Amino acid sequence: MGATKLSGMQKQVLSLYRGFLRAARSKPTTEDRKRIQTIVSTEFRKNSKEVDRKNFQYIEYLLRLGHKQLDQLKSPDMVSISSVKIN
Amino acid sequence: MASGLVGRVVGTNPSRAARLIPSRWTSSKAVVGAKLKTFQIYRWNADSPGKPELQDYQLDLKDCGPMVLDALIKITNEMDPSLTFRRSCREGMCGSCAMNIDGCNGLACLTKIESESSKVTTITPLPHMFVIKDLVVDMTNFYNQYKSIEPWLKRKTPASVPGKEILQSKKDRAKLDGMYECILCACCSTSCPSYWWNPESYLGPAALLHANRWISDSRDEYTKERLEAINDEFKLYRCHTILNCARACPKGLNPGKQISHIKQLQK
Repeated sequence: MGATKLSGMQKQVLSLYRGFLRAARSKPTTEDRKRIQTIVSTEFRKNSKEVDRKNFQYIEYLLRLGHKQLDQLKSPDMVSISSVKIN
Repeated sequence: MASGLVGRVVGTNPSRAARLIPSRWTSSKAVVGAKLKTFQIYRWNADSPGKPELQDYQLDLKDCGPMVLDALIKITNEMDPSLTFRRSCREGMCGSCAMNIDGCNGLACLTKIESESSKVTTITPLPHMFVIKDLVVDMTNFYNQYKSIEPWLKRKTPASVPGKEILQSKKDRAKLDGMYECILCACCSTSCPSYWWNPESYLGPAALLHANRWISDSRDEYTKERLEAINDEFKLYRCHTILNCARACPKGLNPGKQISHIKQLQK
């Protein structure tokens, strides 16, 4: 269990993650829901490992970007999201 | 254009030296008799680590157009293609190139480069706005505030001749002068200290100017509702007539005057 108290910024990141998962649940097909969930969770987990905890500027930038993408995803016309890996 | 780059790293900033890029860029066409001017431009990239920095660029003014936008385009074309900024019409009509030049907000396409080549011109993004990259700022809050005042004609009764224009006298149309010209460049709102301290709650001079434009429109029938909607301690009354907005407006408008007009109507 997370014994240490979460900082304000950590709470914001978690609420954004929850928001994405809730938006995913409102989509019509199970396949779409799974796809959104995997993309979002890989993105968040990757960033949590790579981004320095103290790099507030970059974290806030990612939070703003995430909120905008979440607003787009929430609209009922959006069916799913996809991501492409370029090496 | 690697041949034109000055290879040595000016060691004023150790973090810049660590990145091994030349911190002073000079135009490749630097010849004898050239009038070199240094531009310090705000750079920040989310992907690369580090804090925002002012990067120096040297340009030959004889080889460049008179406006700051000409200099920025020349830098992007010849020296550093990674420099990012918004621009569109290049004639002061679209409002895309709004930025802070030498401490004053203005449009890059309308601001002349100060020909005194010994002075350094500093170009930074609009103050107190979240930066997306280099000189590009996040305008969503600004546009949402404009949307919130409902900037369209609202009527309760249909037009006197259905399907035809709603007529307006020349005197009533003249009331809109000084407000319809606003291009939503955000120079005024981002120059207002009151807007810096309360960007989410205070509407800002641009949105309030447009609110007055619709309040003063004789064809609009929702005047009372519009006035009540903005009659708020934060939305309207954060304005303390600082009047930085009138000073910053590149189109010569006076948002402060329009705000005081709204305040008068509220009584």
